[in-house]
Amino acid sequence: MRSLIGALAALVLLAEPALAQEAARRYGDFPVIGSRAAVWVAAQLHLFFAAFVLGVPMFAVVAEVIGIKSGEERFDKLAKEFTRLLLVSYSATAVWGAVLVFALVTLYPGVWTYLAEIFDVSMWVYVGIFFFESATLYLYYYGWDLWKEGRAKWFHWGLGILLNLWGTTVMFIANSWLTYMMSPPAEVTPDTAPGMVQFWSAFANATWMPINIHRLIANVVFGGAIVGAYAAYRFLMAETDEERAHYDWMGYIGNFVAISALIVLPFAGYWLGREIYEFNQQMGITMMGGFMSWLWIVQAFLIGVLFLTGNYYLWVGMGRIPGAERFQPYTKYMLVVLVLGVIVWATPHSMIASRDEISAMGGQFHPFLGVLGVMSAKNTAVNLMILTTFLSFLLYRRANKEPVVGWAGRGTMVQGALFGIAALVVLFYGVYGYFVPAIVRIGFSVYQVLAVLSTIVAVVVLDVLMLRGATSRGEIRWGQMPPRSQYALFILAVTFTWLMGLMGFARSGIRQHWHVFEVMRDTSVDAATPALGYASVVISVCVLIFLGMVAFIFWVGGLAEKPIITKAARGEGPHAALQPAGGD
Amino acid sequence: MLLQNLKIVLVVLGTLGLYTWVANAIPQVESEVPAQLSFGADVTPEELVSAGGQLFAGAGACVTCHGLEDRAPALLSDYGGAGPIGQRCADRVEGMDCKEYLYASLADPYSYLVEPFGPIMPDQRINLSEDQLWSLVAYLQDQGGEVTVTGADLQSTQASSAGGAASQGGGGAATAAASGPSSDATEATAVMQANLCFGCHKLGDQGVVLGPPFDGIGSRRDAAYLRNSILNPNAEVPEGYQEVAGLMPPNFGQMLTAGQLETIVQFLASQR
Repeated sequence: MRSLIGALAALVLLAEPALAQEAARRYGDFPVIGSRAAVWVAAQLHLFFAAFVLGVPMFAVVAEVIGIKSGEERFDKLAKEFTRLLLVSYSATAVWGAVLVFALVTLYPGVWTYLAEIFDVSMWVYVGIFFFESATLYLYYYGWDLWKEGRAKWFHWGLGILLNLWGTTVMFIANSWLTYMMSPPAEVTPDTAPGMVQFWSAFANATWMPINIHRLIANVVFGGAIVGAYAAYRFLMAETDEERAHYDWMGYIGNFVAISALIVLPFAGYWLGREIYEFNQQMGITMMGGFMSWLWIVQAFLIGVLFLTGNYYLWVGMGRIPGAERFQPYTKYMLVVLVLGVIVWATPHSMIASRDEISAMGGQFHPFLGVLGVMSAKNTAVNLMILTTFLSFLLYRRANKEPVVGWAGRGTMVQGALFGIAALVVLFYGVYGYFVPAIVRIGFSVYQVLAVLSTIVAVVVLDVLMLRGATSRGEIRWGQMPPRSQYALFILAVTFTWLMGLMGFARSGIRQHWHVFEVMRDTSVDAATPALGYASVVISVCVLIFLGMVAFIFWVGGLAEKPIITKAARGEGPHAALQPAGGD
Repeated sequence: MLLQNLKIVLVVLGTLGLYTWVANAIPQVESEVPAQLSFGADVTPEELVSAGGQLFAGAGACVTCHGLEDRAPALLSDYGGAGPIGQRCADRVEGMDCKEYLYASLADPYSYLVEPFGPIMPDQRINLSEDQLWSLVAYLQDQGGEVTVTGADLQSTQASSAGGAASQGGGGAATAAASGPSSDATEATAVMQANLCFGCHKLGDQGVVLGPPFDGIGSRRDAAYLRNSILNPNAEVPEGYQEVAGLMPPNFGQMLTAGQLETIVQFLASQR
């Protein structure tokens, strides 16, 4: 299939080179929904699946190495089950990739020709690496039971690492194409023939690396969330306590991975935002304060849902941990911090307002909300929310443990003090930010972030040392989770997926009526960038198609697994002794 | 099992429905494409003001910055006690009337920065046609002042723009200096801005000192040297700049027209 894509790329490369503006003026037509929506849906679905198949191998290898080091077989089983989900999702990724290429070739041939002429070499490299990635994946999955012991197991783990390397490289290459459209090098103008564009300067453009890092982390978040939802489904459908316990644990790991990576994601987002501003201030302003300003309010609402749901899942989960009851009184205070944080974060500020709206507010900014809507308040809110979520994880982790080291009391006090200092630093710079110019204020967010990150690192180190040899107040009762907690995992998965679609719209939409920003103008009937309402409908449709396909893929995967387990358990059939296909 | 599946589907649909509803409940703002305008010589001030007003509030995205007063000065309301832009534009630059000033500040915004705001406004000629620029000028004049833009203004810059485009093979950023009521210095500055020269070279208040500064460069280098160093930047690296050797793109020979190159060279040679 990829060869076919390559052949198509070669065909369009044979076309006459044309200047950017001339090249853009060729468009196809797609019935009913139009060309833009068709390409949008294909690209978004390709990205959803791609994010999943890139995120899952990352924690599959982490789970596998934990299994090797700790000797706990459940981690190895978990890694293998993740990889099985990966295997069945891989073809869907390739299918949507092909649909996207066909859509571009037929609906936006001018744009495709232009990009292919600049990036032809990297397209062939992409295809080559894709072959290696596929081969490595098959070896990694189908060699799981073959290379199970001793050195062979480490070789197998090395395959997992290699799989991640291939996957990351493929993503980095594809990212260069889309980031070029967003931030082409300064020397490229509408008069520059694509053949004259220097490859490396186009490839390593201004937003390439920030997008790479942002997507890398986001893929982990996304993979964790989807695995969590899968585990939740299997938990709800489980027929035995053993099955329920396994999927409860798997759901916890998925949620842990997703929320842990989510905590780091805003920092990558800051970097990306800063690079966008450095590339073109107007683009940055369009993104944050222009026609997209309301998008960030919706984003704040979604992230609020993520923080609240993620914490809720942890708090409910503490019900199955002996000893956790001593921490439960604190959850209401954490809830208050989170709710206040969401309210502040979702406060509008720099909005495009009509004359009527301005006169109704009595000025450009709302007299009360204007104070909360500025970045000083928002940065303070989000950093305190991150600290609170980290505290939830910490309490969850310590719930059933009783430290035995002599300095446990002092250690806990130091941890508390670190939390307090971090919160004070965040609040101090939040308030101080109101009294300094904007250029100084922007630098304060770095101090706030550093305070939170260093606290997280220091507290974790202390905790690990303090809980060495800790006694247990009782084992976690895996499987004894109320069903409502599993619906929280579904909400997390839907929200992460929707948020990814929304951010994709933001990244692509800030180019406005340009295929390649200020180089190749979009002269099609769909050149205007739609409002958020229309975008939300497209995103919801994409999410629905994605989740529907994922459900189908997982169901098909389950078909091959279940009958064999049942027969093996009963000791029936000619292959009763066989292990489940790809199974547990 | 069926009931369980149904519950899951309802949770998923409910969550999607909630997000879609929230996104539709907020104000809907579309990023429009600047509409093509084509006015004749008999265009009336009212037509220009009307078109300019639509651009200002819509596709021109001017309200994104002009109005909040934390990014750019307010234009439709009083700023600094001098009234809206139509009242104060004639007093901004000595020797420039309101019309000249407004056009020049749209075409070359970095040269007409208002303290204390930073250089964030792009050259509007990248996005807008001459007719659109003049309609914006008319609209801004109408904010407390008298509209003096006429069809003759449009025709003079259209002719200038067309001439420039014909000699340069198209429009766009690199050809930006070809149009507008500008002197040679303004034209050279616009070409250099469009080609990001000030990303590395400093001239007056513009740019950063990464490569050799342009201030006084005419007293240090002659035109032939300047021409050669633009076309072949790595041929001779000035002392003290070896660390940044290779940074300047070697393809300005392809990117600039002969006219643009000479405009820059003569301008730099005159910086003494």
